[in-house]
Amino acid sequence: MTVGDARIRIPDRIARGDLIIVNAIVVHPMDTGFFRTAEGQPIPAYFIKEVVVTYGDEQVARFEWTSGVSKDPIVSFTLTADKEAPLTMVWSDSKGGVYRQSVAIAFAAA
Amino acid sequence: MPEPAERSSRRSFLQTCALAGLGLVGANGLLQGQISGLGALGSADPDPEVPNEQIARILKELFGDRPINKGHISLDMPAVAEDGRIVPVIIESELPMTPAHYVKAVHLIVDHNPDPHLAAYHLTPALGSVALQTRIKMKRTTWVRAILETSTGEVWAAYAHVNVSLNGCG
Repeated sequence: MTVGDARIRIPDRIARGDLIIVNAIVVHPMDTGFFRTAEGQPIPAYFIKEVVVTYGDEQVARFEWTSGVSKDPIVSFTLTADKEAPLTMVWSDSKGGVYRQSVAIAFAAA
Repeated sequence: MPEPAERSSRRSFLQTCALAGLGLVGANGLLQGQISGLGALGSADPDPEVPNEQIARILKELFGDRPINKGHISLDMPAVAEDGRIVPVIIESELPMTPAHYVKAVHLIVDHNPDPHLAAYHLTPALGSVALQTRIKMKRTTWVRAILETSTGEVWAAYAHVNVSLNGCG
């Protein structure tokens, strides 16, 4: 696992109109800037600042984070699955790193 | 790094708790306790005091002069967090998520963390409900505030007091 590896988990079977739970994780150190290495060198702050969630063409959520969110940050939220479209999350960190992950929301055959 | 202001606020908090234990402080203070008698015991749960200027400034910038009342949001956290590096947080609200009326933001504030305004979640009706989960770092024992703002300007809050055994902020 390297910094920026991300995964989004959604239910296996989704019907149109379901309220689904979306779980997401991104690998990131979320360094606060308050710690030092074993050699005494300060570890500079390095953390995810913003998460943008897009469903189809619509931005459905945006999260502003600080280094107070735990290492390898997780977030979960709900979504009304009312269309077949990609669900995309973009995590941006304090050093300009941008990490993207996407899952397809598709409806199970009845 | 205890400051005098923090010490005094903790002292007054303890005093408030002691009064609450005696049933003297209800949701609206002494008066309510006298009027409703035993009924006030159930609501003898005062809001946490604003502990310092920094928290006062954050609340002012986010919500202006609007009242911050308890209700319509829940904040679930452990009463005791063994490891302050990973403290689970669950935030939920039963408020509607319709274009006419929805929860547009949820703010998570940890009073005694180095960066108290820990996260802001900007939401839209497309989410269908407010049910957020994450994991946060906590420096020491403190109050945590989850405060939401609706599209029509209402502000609602929930509070959790978390005892932190191991400092998770360095």
